[in-house]
Order: sequence, then C-alpha cells, then structure tokens
Amino acid sequence: MNRAVPALDVVSSFALAGAAAAMLVRPRHLSAITRSPIVPVAYGLTRRAAHSLTRRVVPLRPAPRPRRLARLIARVAPPPAATQRAARRLHGSAALLAFSVLADSAVEHYRGSFHNRAMYAPLITAALTLGGSLFGLGDRRAARHPLRDTIYGGAAATGLAGLGFHAYNILKRPGSLSWLNLFYAAPIGAPMALALAGLLGRGAEQVRGTPHRQRPSVRGLPAGRALAALSAAGLAGTAGEAGLLHFRGAFQDPFMVAPITVPPVAATLLATAALFPGRLISHLARWWLRLTALLGFAGVGFHAYGISRNMGGWRNWSQNVLNGPPLPAPPSFTGLALAGLAALSLIQGEHHG
Amino acid sequence: MADRYPGYNVLSKRNSVSWNDQTRAVIDRRMAIDPDKHTFFTDQEWPTVQAICERIVPQPVDRAHPAPVAAMVDEKLHSNGGDGYRDARLPAMRDAWRRGLAAIDGEAKSRYGCRFHELTGLLRDDLLKAVQNGNVNGKAWRELQAKVFFKKRLLHDIVSSYYAHPASWNEIGFGGPASPRGYVRMNFDRRDPWEAAEARPGREERARAENAGVG
Repeated sequence: MNRAVPALDVVSSFALAGAAAAMLVRPRHLSAITRSPIVPVAYGLTRRAAHSLTRRVVPLRPAPRPRRLARLIARVAPPPAATQRAARRLHGSAALLAFSVLADSAVEHYRGSFHNRAMYAPLITAALTLGGSLFGLGDRRAARHPLRDTIYGGAAATGLAGLGFHAYNILKRPGSLSWLNLFYAAPIGAPMALALAGLLGRGAEQVRGTPHRQRPSVRGLPAGRALAALSAAGLAGTAGEAGLLHFRGAFQDPFMVAPITVPPVAATLLATAALFPGRLISHLARWWLRLTALLGFAGVGFHAYGISRNMGGWRNWSQNVLNGPPLPAPPSFTGLALAGLAALSLIQGEHHG
Repeated sequence: MADRYPGYNVLSKRNSVSWNDQTRAVIDRRMAIDPDKHTFFTDQEWPTVQAICERIVPQPVDRAHPAPVAAMVDEKLHSNGGDGYRDARLPAMRDAWRRGLAAIDGEAKSRYGCRFHELTGLLRDDLLKAVQNGNVNGKAWRELQAKVFFKKRLLHDIVSSYYAHPASWNEIGFGGPASPRGYVRMNFDRRDPWEAAEARPGREERARAENAGVG
C-alpha cells in the first residue's frame, strides 16, 4: 500500500470536516438548503442514478477452458493496473474541475452577495467533491467507495439544479433570453462543470470497481468510449461558454481565440478516437488533449494578466478580481483534457486488449 | 431631515485602493479651498454671491466642513476653464456672472431699497424666484435674459460646485471619483462593500454599521 494513502485520507477528511464545520457555523444556511424542494428530488435522482449505475456490469461468458479463458481475459480486459491508473486519473480530473468550480463559484457568488441561499450549494458540493476526489486519487484499493459515490452523485445533481437556477436568473431579467442577459446574467454553462466533475467521478468509481476479468463499463457502455464522449461534450460546452464570454470581451487579446479553437479540435479528435479507434487518431488526440491541458493552465496566467490590465491593476484586486477575467475558470479545460486522456487509455485497453 | 446615510464619510475611502494619488491630489485641493477667498469676484460682488449660494444650496449649520460653494464658483470663474458649451443667449461665463450679479443687486435696490445680501431669507427667495420666472424689470435685464441666466448660469454653476464637494457626497451617499476602483455589483439594490449603505426605515443601525466598514 502506498504511503501517500493515509496522508490523502487525512486531507480528504479535513475537507469533509471543513464542510461539516461550515454547516455547523452557518446552520441557517444548511437548514434553508435542506428545506428546499429540490432536496427530495435530487435525492431521488441520485438514488436512481446510483442504482442504475451499479447494476450494469458486463458479464463475461463462462469460458470453456482455462487457457481460452486466459486468452479471452487478456483480450477484453485491460491490465488491472492500467484500469486503476485510468480511474485515478479520472479522480484527478474531477478534483481539478471541482477546484475550478469551488474557486469560481466562491468568487462569483460572493460577487452576487449570496443573494439566494442556494448560492452556497456549489461551494459545499464542490468542496466535498474536491475532498472526495483527492481521497480517490490517493486510494489504491481497487474498489468503489460509497461515500465518494454519494458525493459525486450529489455534485452531478447540484450541477444540474444549478443549470436550472442560472437559466431562471437569465429568464427572469428584462429581455429574458437575450444576448445581453446571456453575457451579464448568471453564466449558463458554469454549473455544468460541477455536473461534469460529478459524472467523471462516478465514472472513476465505476472503472475502479470493475470486477477482475471484466471490461470497465459505464451505464452499460464501454467505459472508455462513454467517458470520451462525456469529456468531448464537456470540452465543447466549455469552449462554447468561453466563446460567449470572450466575444463579450471583444477578443481584445488575440490569445482569447485559443479556448475556442484548441479545445474543440481536441473534442473532435477525442470523439473520433472513441468512434473509430486507431493508433494514429489516438496519438493525435492524446497530443492535442495535452495541449488543451496546458492551455487551461496558461489561461490562468492570461487571466491574471487581464486583471492587471484593468484600471488599478492588482492593487485594485477587490474590484478587478470580481470584474476582470475569472482566474479559476480556465483549469476546467485542463480537468476535462485529463479526463479525455484517461478515457483514451481505457479505449486503448478496450481496443487492443 | 434624518441622515439618509448615517455614519458615511466618503473621505474614509481616501487611503484605500478606491483612490489613487491623482484622485487624492484633486480632492485634497478641493477640500483646501478657503471659503472666504475670492479672486474673480470683487469685494462688492462677494457678499451677493455668498448670499445667493446660501439660498440655492443651504447647508446644515452643524456641518463640520461645509462646502465652500461661493469660493468654488469664484475659482471656476477665476480659472475661466468654462464648461465646453454655453447657451448662445447668454454672454461668456465671466461676463454673464458680472452682469447677473449687478442686475440682481439692482433689482433688490429697486424693490426693497437695499442690496441683495441685506434682505431677509424669505425676501431673498422671493427675489430669486422672480429672476427664475423672468418677473424682473430692471434695465440691466435687457441685455441678459433673467430666466436663462438663472437656469443656465447661476443654478448650473452653484449646484455643480456644491455637488463637486465631499460634504455633499456624504449627504447623498455618493462614493466620489471611481478612480481607480469602480463598482462591481451593478444590479438594482445591490451594494459593493465600498459603497454607502442607505438607511431604510428601521434599518438605520445596520446602515451605520455597514457605513463604518466603507473604505
């Protein structure tokens, strides 16, 4: 057993304890959340999702002879070590997405003065998801964990609920669904990052819980392909969001074009590699995903530069961090690109055996 | 009148990131204006200008640092920077003021036999209302349209001087120059922590506490 595991257990326990403490210190907020009509709905959805996700595993036909069985295993199941590595990578990408959501929603919802009590929800959920993902990242046991599973389900449900809240925020403003409101009201795509963190985390749990000799699967689909589709869709959606907000910023810096050009190519290559697996396309997709992952980090630098260019620069941080380009947003691309890389390695396992 | 922004002092933003050196220098200069100094207005005109300013923008007697409105108008006329625009029915800014003040004093003399600043408050108001409505008949008004002078010169210069001073900003909850720090929460009824908090009925203490944190 790796020595890092207990340490990470401690870290994730601290994260969970922190969230619990927040609930204790501000019980009114928690009680407001629990009284919300969304809770039973989200609970039901999570439970159903958990049921349907845990039921499906691809059964292996009984093998006639041990030697043929061994050959069959080698063909259909990627080496367990590779599967577990892919699962941990998925936890890593979920952690990065959760961190991005935690920081971004903290800044943006603070800007919104937590006007609606539900605006605390993504902070709590993303903190839990981050803790759970770090725990999963360090956990070398080839098994699912019910706590992580539940947290990820909660994150997915919160993300979807957030989408509804943000859509309501846009529609309730004068002008309803207009470009102005899409630019300046609650960002429509942002809550999906939390949902993606939850779904990728669920994927990680399913992959790591794959019984020996079985092919990793997600909702009855080969895990690699399903997660590749999810990552590709996530990359495309995030690129759409960046496109909308960079258009608002009039593409005044040429590098603002990068997030609407690089990630969509990565998404296309990844989707192609999932549909038509092959060495060349996988190779291309892998490099392009690495470039996208780098872009996510570079984006933080660009956004920091953007903040410095606002009046007063970093000295006037209390306005410019809120008003300028969002610092924690670009790492979402890194998180999704890492998920895509994990999916690619699973696809390779599925394809080559 | 109850204080609408209790405990709010725009100058507490002075040393925060809200203002930079340039903003501080500009406001410091404005705060340092001597209320009795007049360079453009003659000693003869000065009490009339002061008396008019007191009636147009009366200030509470207990105000620690009242806005030196007459001196600010004087400075504007002395520097003769102008506004960049002018009603074509009026002469140039300095000329309009000279003629207008003489006409107002002349009107006071013809009506009440004394100068404008020697009138009681109510009579001063009556005379200013007469100028505002154009109900004047002194010879001096033939060259200067009373209504236009009142609205486009007298009122314009006095009111814009008053509202350029921090004393009035505290009264109306204005944050002063947004330079370099502007505002983030732009929606209706939202407030940045560096903005004045308005005391709605029953929430005066909360507003006072919030205003204590402005900086």
